[in-house]
Amino acid sequence: MRPNDPSVPVNSADSSEPPVVRIKELSKIYQQGEINVTALNRISLDIARREFLTLMGPSGSGKSTLLHIIAGVDRPTTGHCVVQGVEVTGLSESQLADWRNQNVGFVFQTFNLLPVLTAFENVELPLLLTRLTSKQRKKQVLTALELVGLADRTSHLPRQLSGGQEQRVAIARALVTDPQLIVADEPTGNLDSNSAHEVLDILRSLCSDAGKTVIMVTHDPKAAAFGSRNVHLEKGELAP
Amino acid sequence: MTIGGFILRNAVRNKRRALLSILSVAVSLFLLVTLLVGLRELTQPPSDQDSAARIVVRNKISLGNLLPRRQRTIIEKIPGVAAVTPFTWFGGKFRDEEVMFGQFAIEPKLLQTIFGEAKMPAEQFEAFVADPTSCIVGIKTAEKYGLKIGELMKIQGTFWPIDLNLKLVGIYADGIDDRNLFFHHRQLDEMPNNTGEVGTWWVKAATLEDVGPAVQAINAAFANTTAAVRAETERAFQLSFISMWGNIKMLVFSICSVVVFTLVLVSASTMSMAVRERFRELAILKAIGFQRRELFAFILAESFGLAAAGAVLGVGGAWGLFNHTDLVATASQNFLVLFEVTPRIMAQACLVATLLGIVASIAPSLSVARMSVVQGLKTLD
Repeated sequence: MRPNDPSVPVNSADSSEPPVVRIKELSKIYQQGEINVTALNRISLDIARREFLTLMGPSGSGKSTLLHIIAGVDRPTTGHCVVQGVEVTGLSESQLADWRNQNVGFVFQTFNLLPVLTAFENVELPLLLTRLTSKQRKKQVLTALELVGLADRTSHLPRQLSGGQEQRVAIARALVTDPQLIVADEPTGNLDSNSAHEVLDILRSLCSDAGKTVIMVTHDPKAAAFGSRNVHLEKGELAP
Repeated sequence: MTIGGFILRNAVRNKRRALLSILSVAVSLFLLVTLLVGLRELTQPPSDQDSAARIVVRNKISLGNLLPRRQRTIIEKIPGVAAVTPFTWFGGKFRDEEVMFGQFAIEPKLLQTIFGEAKMPAEQFEAFVADPTSCIVGIKTAEKYGLKIGELMKIQGTFWPIDLNLKLVGIYADGIDDRNLFFHHRQLDEMPNNTGEVGTWWVKAATLEDVGPAVQAINAAFANTTAAVRAETERAFQLSFISMWGNIKMLVFSICSVVVFTLVLVSASTMSMAVRERFRELAILKAIGFQRRELFAFILAESFGLAAAGAVLGVGGAWGLFNHTDLVATASQNFLVLFEVTPRIMAQACLVATLLGIVASIAPSLSVARMSVVQGLKTLD
């Protein structure tokens, strides 16, 4: 049963296993002309399996940068980021792409579904990179859509869905390859409160029921309350 | 969903733009094919066996300078020469209009010896040989002007100072050019103040092996005379005649180049627009694991698909129009009779379309390659 009350914490993180994400002395410095802007400053952080970690902080605090580095779409200037035992900072572009396909599911604020594809096809997209047959792909896509409660919307185009439904399709797309890690960058930022609640419920159940590790960036304290642990960033550093 | 389906869906997502892109490629390739076909029509020399054994002898100075009639007996005595006929362009007006068919004075009895490919009934040929005031015309001209056997044709001289009153006694077909009119050279030989000159000599070699030596012998026979000649095979003659089209060829090639260049710009711009507007989506694809090479392949396939669709429409349309209708022949009043799209021209146009697809995808592919996922995600929709 999904917990509907944000006051019920997931708190299912498994501390007996090695962390899914281990970040050590991670820094990211952007060069803007002759000025160096430090987005992340020597951050160290462990994230356990089945943890629902929320990253909060003001704009420019480096939370999205940290999320991007963990997800393997950005590279740190210095430091280490080990995800499921793989030092992602050492992978080539091509290796990173494969690694992301198998290990990370993305959920974005603006859903980012492809408008020309149906809900089913959007969810199927990451599976086109696998060796699965069309029948196997169909089974996995339907399972993912069922998990987010949209099995009856398979043939709908994104424009025919509500914002909340679009975000649930995006979650299904993130889940369909069965990655251990789900990263969500302000997934409720464009949603009304009811839809936001539904989406957060799903993310939380992914941790509690499906054993996934979810890292979510949010500005919203109500959304953060769904997480099992909350981390604050201030000017590129972890706030005490 | 298949990768192909995904590419197709993207290619036609903006239907109006896709249609306009395809049409711009189609129209440009149609124009390119038309120019290439036109160029071929104007420059194609005959290449059958009969023509290979024919030798054309003209004044070495230029085609406009005439040759003395006395040369004929000398040429006839050269080993390997089977027959010689004078062949003089008349260039007159018929029915008061600038005619689009050639009129040539020849030696009628040698017509079938030298131009054996032209077919006509034996009685018509005999009538032509027998009557010095007669003429024959090609079937295309006969059809165009509705000419009937026995009809009188008045050709008004514009280059030669006489008018011809000819009786049509034969209609030939399957000649080198089924538009021409032939009449007795005697008409020119017997005109007042005749200086005894002919335009060119057309020679038939006894065998193909005799052609080379005969050409050399004819050239040598009149070297250092007041009327030095240039003898060459009919093919070489046609090619040298064609060389006079040099500037037109260059003009056509220039237009072709401009067409292709414009086509590349239009297509590259379209592809760049199509890719730029979905930078964010491409970043998503990268984020979920699509590699750079796969994104290249998507862009290339999309670009190539649009170019191929344009090629099918443009080249196919030209093929259908030129090879299966008489539109060009009718519109040009039978001036352009062989206006057809050959497999070679189709291949050339398809090659242009292929290169177009590749070139148009280079710039957007490079920008996608340079784009990081984070940059792409920050792109506004």
